[in-house]
Amino acid sequence: MEVLKEKVEEEEAAEREDAAERAERGEKMMRLMEVRKEETTMTQEMLRDLERKLSEIEVSIPEKPSTFTKDTIDISKLPLSYKSNTPKEEHLLQVADNFSRQYSLLCPDRVPLFLHPLNECEVPKFVSTTIRPTLMPYPELYNWDTCAQFVSDFLAMLPLPDPLKPPSYLYSSTTVLKHQKGNCFDFSTLLCSMLIGAGYDAYCVNGYGSQDLCHMDLTREVCPLTVKPKETVQEEEKAPPKKYAIKPPRDLSSRFEQEQEMKRQEEIKAAEEKRWRQEEERLMEVDSAKTDPLHGLRVHSWVLVLSGKREVPESFFIDPFTARSYSTQDDNFLGIESLWNHKNYWINMQDCWNCCKDLIFDLGDPVMWEYLLLGTDKPLLSPAEEEDNGANDDDDVENLGKEDEDKSFDMPNSWVEQIEISPEGTKTLEIKEWYQNREDMLELKHINKTTGLNIDYFKPGHPQALRVHSYTSMQPEMDRVMEFYEKARVDGLIKREETPKTMTEYYQGRPDFLSYRHINFGPRVKKLVLNSAESNPRPVVKIIERFFRNPAKPADEDVAERVFLILDERIQLRYHCREDHITASKREFLRRTEVDSKGNKIIMTPDMCISFEVEPMEHTKKLLYQYEAMMKLKNEEKLSRHQAWESELEVLEILKLREEEEEAHVLTTSIYDTKRNEKSKEYREAMERVMHEEHLRQVEAQLDYLAPFLAQLPPGEKLTRWQAVRLKDECLSDFKQRLINKANLIQARFEKETQELQKQQQWYQENQVTLTPEDEDLYLSYCSQAMFRIRILEQRLNRHKELAPLKYLALEEKLYKDPRLVELLKVFV
Amino acid sequence: MHQLCDMEPRVMDDDMLKLAVGEQGPRDEAGQLAKQEGILFKDVLSLQLDFQNILRIDNLWQFENLRKLQLDNNTIEKIEGLEKLTRLVWLDLSFNNIETIEGLDTLVNLEDLSLFNNRIAKIDSLDALVKLQVLSLGNNRIGNLMKIIYLRRFKDLRTLSLAGNPIAAAEDYRMFICAYLPDLVYLDFRRIDDHTKELAEVKHQYSTDELKHQENLMQARLEDEQARREELEEHKAAFVENLNGSFLFDSMYAEDVEGSKLASLPGVAELMETYKDKFVIICLNIFEYGLKQQEKRKAELDTFNERVQEAVQENQAQGRHRTAEFEEKHLLSLSTIRGESELTDIETKIADQREDIAELSNALMTLEMQLVEQLEETINMFERNIVDLVELFIENVQSLMAQCRDLENHHHEKLLEIAINILEKIVKGELDEDLPDDVRALFVDKDTIVNAVGASHDMHLLKIDNREDELVTRVNSWCTHLVDKIHKDEMTRNRRRVKEINQYGDHVQGELDSLECGDILD
Repeated sequence: MEVLKEKVEEEEAAEREDAAERAERGEKMMRLMEVRKEETTMTQEMLRDLERKLSEIEVSIPEKPSTFTKDTIDISKLPLSYKSNTPKEEHLLQVADNFSRQYSLLCPDRVPLFLHPLNECEVPKFVSTTIRPTLMPYPELYNWDTCAQFVSDFLAMLPLPDPLKPPSYLYSSTTVLKHQKGNCFDFSTLLCSMLIGAGYDAYCVNGYGSQDLCHMDLTREVCPLTVKPKETVQEEEKAPPKKYAIKPPRDLSSRFEQEQEMKRQEEIKAAEEKRWRQEEERLMEVDSAKTDPLHGLRVHSWVLVLSGKREVPESFFIDPFTARSYSTQDDNFLGIESLWNHKNYWINMQDCWNCCKDLIFDLGDPVMWEYLLLGTDKPLLSPAEEEDNGANDDDDVENLGKEDEDKSFDMPNSWVEQIEISPEGTKTLEIKEWYQNREDMLELKHINKTTGLNIDYFKPGHPQALRVHSYTSMQPEMDRVMEFYEKARVDGLIKREETPKTMTEYYQGRPDFLSYRHINFGPRVKKLVLNSAESNPRPVVKIIERFFRNPAKPADEDVAERVFLILDERIQLRYHCREDHITASKREFLRRTEVDSKGNKIIMTPDMCISFEVEPMEHTKKLLYQYEAMMKLKNEEKLSRHQAWESELEVLEILKLREEEEEAHVLTTSIYDTKRNEKSKEYREAMERVMHEEHLRQVEAQLDYLAPFLAQLPPGEKLTRWQAVRLKDECLSDFKQRLINKANLIQARFEKETQELQKQQQWYQENQVTLTPEDEDLYLSYCSQAMFRIRILEQRLNRHKELAPLKYLALEEKLYKDPRLVELLKVFV
Repeated sequence: MHQLCDMEPRVMDDDMLKLAVGEQGPRDEAGQLAKQEGILFKDVLSLQLDFQNILRIDNLWQFENLRKLQLDNNTIEKIEGLEKLTRLVWLDLSFNNIETIEGLDTLVNLEDLSLFNNRIAKIDSLDALVKLQVLSLGNNRIGNLMKIIYLRRFKDLRTLSLAGNPIAAAEDYRMFICAYLPDLVYLDFRRIDDHTKELAEVKHQYSTDELKHQENLMQARLEDEQARREELEEHKAAFVENLNGSFLFDSMYAEDVEGSKLASLPGVAELMETYKDKFVIICLNIFEYGLKQQEKRKAELDTFNERVQEAVQENQAQGRHRTAEFEEKHLLSLSTIRGESELTDIETKIADQREDIAELSNALMTLEMQLVEQLEETINMFERNIVDLVELFIENVQSLMAQCRDLENHHHEKLLEIAINILEKIVKGELDEDLPDDVRALFVDKDTIVNAVGASHDMHLLKIDNREDELVTRVNSWCTHLVDKIHKDEMTRNRRRVKEINQYGDHVQGELDSLECGDILD
């Protein structure tokens, strides 16, 4: 009863406030209201009726399922922690119950605490354990504003079943996320989990909010779309009027009329403003008339973010419904009953007569905030206390054990499963793929999934000089744009745009100054032979060609645009405009082939060429001139059509090439890429081999010919002269022996071969008569081979004879120069 | 040849030309048309008149645009009557009886000239043919190999034929030509190979080098002269030419007999020196001031031209935009009218279109009138400014000239004093130095010497006055000319634009009318 009374009192207080406010609004408004009231000529009866009706309507609006019923939740799949309590949790619940009993005893006039609502499995769970701090893996959800926006956007708002009481159920965030709807407690629990996960010092608040807040009613807020950013008017720096600059044309409009017009405008504006103001006043009136009877009693839950962590400079509220942040002084927040995070639960012991404006959020102060669990978390201490702590460090150390003892209980871990937000259901809108080292020079592939538009970007060096290719399908004759590196193309093509019926080409830097060609195609004429579809180009209906100004020609002879209307047999020419003129010459040729009355073909008549010339000239009037011009144009038309056909072919070719390239995926290797570049690898290996051989040869060259002789001497002793001489002589004689041996060897082989041959010849002479042709052949081949061998041996012997003395001398020379012997042999030289 | 000689020499008359033109004109369908219309001589680009036994070139003055003319195998004895054919590129006069090259001075575009098989003995009178590339002078009577040097001036000459001339018999002929005409590619219809070129170069290096050196010197001299002339021109434009030195001072004494006589008096030389120095300084002042003022005037004129150009451009852009817009609409409505079948509809549409045309020409005319007004104001402003500038210039120059005059007066007084002193000395017989007789003759009595000094003084003053007058009249006339020209230009511009607008309007109207007629006929 006490509580109810308080409520009533609050209501009254609110009404009083409203009345006071109304009084403040000034007399004028009051008068207006009175006028209004006077104007209403309704009877009391009607008024009541209307009131009733209105109230009915109001009730019927938010009639949604107040909460999603349990049968929509499939509890069977939920994990065990959802369905039961651990002993620790049980203990906690007992503590909480105990606390609640003490609290209701001590503060009998306050509403019962919101401590352990039932979860989706009908299991009571302490609110703090429902918060599951989670850091989302998405960088977008790292800041509070984006988190709040996500929660607000992702969940659908459900009103509380009873607007005056906290709900009896509080579901886990995972369930809420799954069903994408929830009440304010669900919202704030989820948001709080995310914010704490992201490192904010965030708390769920159970309190009282205004009607608008509780109903997520933003009608009285200024629409953010209408708030325009202040336009920074940048005055263009007007160049100072130059000398001889012509004056603007005289303004001939009447000033009087302008003034009148201005006046009229102002009047309209004033009237509008007046109307607007009246409207506003009316709205205000309506608002004030519609004071909430439950003002201050509506239960709401929101999130409090305290300053300190994540560089939050000042504590603030976040309304999870709208994702808006409010200062703690805001009028919409009418009172706080309790608040909690994942570690503890605090009850507000301060008076909320002035909304939340006077509240101090120093949770470490037990006078203002009654905590449920002792010292589970270091509560926010005021700076002074913190300093004290710093000063009494030693005490702290001493008290540590004691504190641990005091810590009778620790908040159990959250029973809620890891909150997961999967990007399921989100659509891939764009895909960008970057490539490197491709032989087709593809650099970036940009795929827009919504429009189906693919854009390929190429680096310079594509065989067709392609730069950008944007298309929706690889089929020919569809919408597509190809851009080219025009410098790499002979025809200077920059861009070719295609639609199913047209083709537009842009050129630059051509010797014929062509800049633009637009071709309209007609429907393809069906041919009987189906398999020749490729060679059946679409008929060209119209060709428009534009040219840059050719400075070598006079403007009157320089065609700016020519249009071939092929079906009409009509050619239109427009020339460039002369420097000092505003009109350009035109000429139109009608190619009618007519026959005159005598049956002769009319070659050219004056009406076949309609021309307008800026400066009429003599020779252009001549039929001959016109005829020749027309003949030339006819030829050029043919050429242009051919060009169009070639362009089409080129498109086909490029498309084919692109498809092949896409399939092949050939990579290029840079010449600097030593690992992948096969050619350079081979080359390098060859080089290395050569180097190696060179090295070997060098080693061989450095072969120590004295080593075997030196080894015979006692090691570590210095050579005497006699020894040195002996060494040298031995070495030389050894070498000589070697040379002789070699010569002998060759000689021996030579003799052996010769003997063999002689033997064979003898044998042949003897048996010549009886020999079969095969044997004869055998013999002949043996002879030639033997002769060859003998010759070679002979050559080798000769060479050896020639070289041996030289080699001997070379060795001697070397020995004289040998660093080990040089000192000792000097005398003999 | 024999047959040709027998034939009567023919005259190049109209009939002959017409026949030739007709025969050589377009063929087939185009020919039919040409016959129908007739061909004007001035439209003919190429003409062939060979084997006609022509004795004298005549009646060609109408062929203004002729590019190629063949007069070979005739009996022409003199090159004449080609003065008007300035566009000629190709001229063939081979197998005639020409003895001297002449009458080609106006054919500046000629690239190919053939004088094969004539009686020419000397290469000259080709100076005007700066673009000459091919010259055929074979089978002539050219005998002096050194005259080939004349051809060095034709920088584009690549083909030359001289075979059949007496010089071709010289053993050094080919080498000589290759050395002296190194840019030549073909000689006597044969390509000159690099080897020959090198040989020739080595052989004649000494003389060609000297020639080159001389040519370079000549070139440098010409350039110098050109630069000097340009500078003088610039000074003239500033109206202060020859004031950057002692030119005026020297001219003062140039015709002054007495002055030069008096200058030999003792003491006068020093006086003259200082006088000259001072005078020259003032002249230099005038000169510098003049140049500065010229620059100022030029800048003024430039800004004016620039602004006017901008205004005109902008106006033109607007006009173009208007016409383009109209054109689009016009074409559209024309095609709708063509497609329309209901007569009343056509009429209303045509009436609408007529209104549009009127509106367009009104709008264009308004734009033009606006521009005229704006420009007039600007031009007047410019006129005022430029006249002010000129007046200031004249004033300052006049004051400087007055200084000159003061100097002269001062000098005159001094001179008089010295003269009288000397006279007195002479009278007293105290004069030490010897005076030349003609000078001594002046010192007969006081009147004579005073008159002499006075005459010199008057002469000087006259020179100064003349110079000043010249400057003032010239700058004034320049100013009036300039302003007149600007006014006239603006007027012609206006006329042209108005004419253009009217013409366009008439054309569009005509199109509409023809459409109407066609409809009525249909």
